[in-house]
Amino acid sequence: MVGMEHAWVLPALPFGAFVLLMLAGRYLPRRGDLLAVGAMAASAVLFSFVLADLTDALAHGEFQGVFSGTDWLKFDTFHVRLGFYFDRLAAVMLAVVTYVGTLIFVYSMGYMKGDPRYGWFFAAMSLFAASMMTLVLADNLLLLYGAWEAVGFCSYLLIGFWHERRPAAEAAKKAFITTRIGDVGFLIGIVLLWREAGTFNLQEIFRFAQEGGYSTPYLTLAVLLLFAGAVGKSAQFPLHVWLPDAMEGPTPVSALIHAATMVVAGVYMVARTMPLFQEADPVALDVVTSLGLTTVVLSATIALVVRDVKRVIAYSTINSLGLMMVALGAGSVTAAMFYLFVHGFFKALLFLAAGNVLHATDRQTVDDLGGLARKMPLTAVAFGVGALAMAGLFPFAGFWAKDEILVAAREYHNQVAVAVLWVSVALAALYMGRLYTLVFTGQPRDRHVWEHAHEGPPIMVGPVLLLTLGAVVTGFLAFDQVGEALGLGGGIGQFVYLEEPHTFHMPWGEAIGSTLLVVASLGAAWAIWGGKGELAVQLGKRLQPLYLLLWNKYYMDDLYQWIVNRIVLAGGAVVAWFDRVVVNDTGVDGSAGLTALGGWLMRQLQTGKLPNYALAIATGAAVIGAVVLVSRM
Amino acid sequence: MIPVQHFLLLGALLFSLGVYGVLSRRNAVLIILSVELMLQAVNINLVAFAVYLAPDEFVGLIFALFVIAVAAAEVGLALAIALRLFRNRTTANVDEVDSLRW
Repeated sequence: MVGMEHAWVLPALPFGAFVLLMLAGRYLPRRGDLLAVGAMAASAVLFSFVLADLTDALAHGEFQGVFSGTDWLKFDTFHVRLGFYFDRLAAVMLAVVTYVGTLIFVYSMGYMKGDPRYGWFFAAMSLFAASMMTLVLADNLLLLYGAWEAVGFCSYLLIGFWHERRPAAEAAKKAFITTRIGDVGFLIGIVLLWREAGTFNLQEIFRFAQEGGYSTPYLTLAVLLLFAGAVGKSAQFPLHVWLPDAMEGPTPVSALIHAATMVVAGVYMVARTMPLFQEADPVALDVVTSLGLTTVVLSATIALVVRDVKRVIAYSTINSLGLMMVALGAGSVTAAMFYLFVHGFFKALLFLAAGNVLHATDRQTVDDLGGLARKMPLTAVAFGVGALAMAGLFPFAGFWAKDEILVAAREYHNQVAVAVLWVSVALAALYMGRLYTLVFTGQPRDRHVWEHAHEGPPIMVGPVLLLTLGAVVTGFLAFDQVGEALGLGGGIGQFVYLEEPHTFHMPWGEAIGSTLLVVASLGAAWAIWGGKGELAVQLGKRLQPLYLLLWNKYYMDDLYQWIVNRIVLAGGAVVAWFDRVVVNDTGVDGSAGLTALGGWLMRQLQTGKLPNYALAIATGAAVIGAVVLVSRM
Repeated sequence: MIPVQHFLLLGALLFSLGVYGVLSRRNAVLIILSVELMLQAVNINLVAFAVYLAPDEFVGLIFALFVIAVAAAEVGLALAIALRLFRNRTTANVDEVDSLRW
């Protein structure tokens, strides 16, 4: 029987597929895509068994978590395990990674068909999935960090998958470097935690912290550094700039990055280390909240003006990640993980549906689209469901999760957070309504493109429809009755929690308020951008300074470019000058020159003429003889 | 009996002649000849000391014979080098032969 102690097999399967594809991919039928998809599907199936074992254990009372794995590094006092730790938090995360991941893999078989690097795509995707599962299951910070970097590296490979195109290559570089900035902090944080506790094991570090092993300022610094890693990975302000550019990758990659892997890794990591955040000074969680709120406002407003379909969805992801961080800042792991879970489904749905549009029209900006609902009814319905889920309309998944976060913020007594979240709810509905209106309704802006549009092959529509189902039903996991029916022992509040389980109560105030707000926003979106969209043009002109501010993404990219050009490159020039003049010319070339000069001087003694040598020998012999004689006398 | 100093003086004279020849001559063959002079000066010293210090034994004399044998071999080698030099460079002037430096 497959049990929780076999959790380590989950990442091993796609990793094995990666190795096989790299070694023998070109000899496999269809470049080995079936192997990659099969390994991923096997992971999903295996996870179902592991989950069944977990629910079994939950039914039998108290449950902490199960370790598996083997030794990794073992010295006298330094011991790191290649260890895996399976608990309920990991289970929620793995559900997203394996189930959503499998659907994305299947979809890729259709979307990437005919690509010259078809096999390599599946190899990289497999490694991506394997790294993410390792990250989720890691029982110690060192393994977690390794997997974390592997995820970053895979995102680099996949965002730059079409690296012949310059924007793609630059986006890959940007994603990698931007996340590295946060990762440096993450690594320092890990080392700080290890220095005092003497172990990388998460559970032991938690115990050490709860026993007061760290001083509060020290622990606060350490968790803030950990959070820096999450800021980079989860695209929080001010390191969010890489994520919209990451849209240069193939659409399945965007779906995988945004829904199942990579960006949610930061949220997961903060949720995982939440016991440390709670032991630290409250200022740590305040930082998490404020950065989350800033991110929410920034992304939700920029999303109103972006014209690239995938980028709008990218900004909606940043918005969602901000919401999750706010929930974590409010100390509610339940709300954050619940949102993360349903977000995985509806965000993958949005991306794959957008991928269908791209595949059918080969256009990415709303200026070339419009009226596609008549041509692609299934995709339109799917995208609509995804958009409504993102907007948070009853009864779609986003509704329940978003309300949980609203409740968490209210119970945390943070008035600013509550106010910002309500604004963000309105904005999310507004920009998702705008996107749907612009792409699927009204008159086609490019007649030629519209006429050639058509629904994709079944292998692409199938996963989209399954995810549509997911985007509708996953939200009901909030209810204890639904969870019990599935054998999970209760709703999400009973399943993932930090201190004590909490039962979902219908928050009538939030539910009714947010529903009205969302409906009003959707109506506003329809009124502004529907039809010919005259109102949108007028608004754009009336509010031109605001429009320009949003269009230029608050000038943050320009600011960073300025910093890079003026400060980093200027500093680099100084260092380069020092290297060239002081280190190279003076140090290296100088010492070499001295040696050469000495050699040249000594060389003058060597004439090569026999009489000179003979004279030297004779003189030497005479001098030695004279010295011997004198010393004898 | 002739005093040993006379032999030593002759040897020193012969040796100095050889040194002067090696230093002043430019012709390879003459340099080799001068080296031979120096070797013979040494031989004279050896024989003289042998007769004066141990007249009943032949150790010093045998040593002189060895020097003569080795010198003969050395001259054969050196002359061969001088011959090859002349064949290659059409000169036996050692001043013109300095291509092996550095």
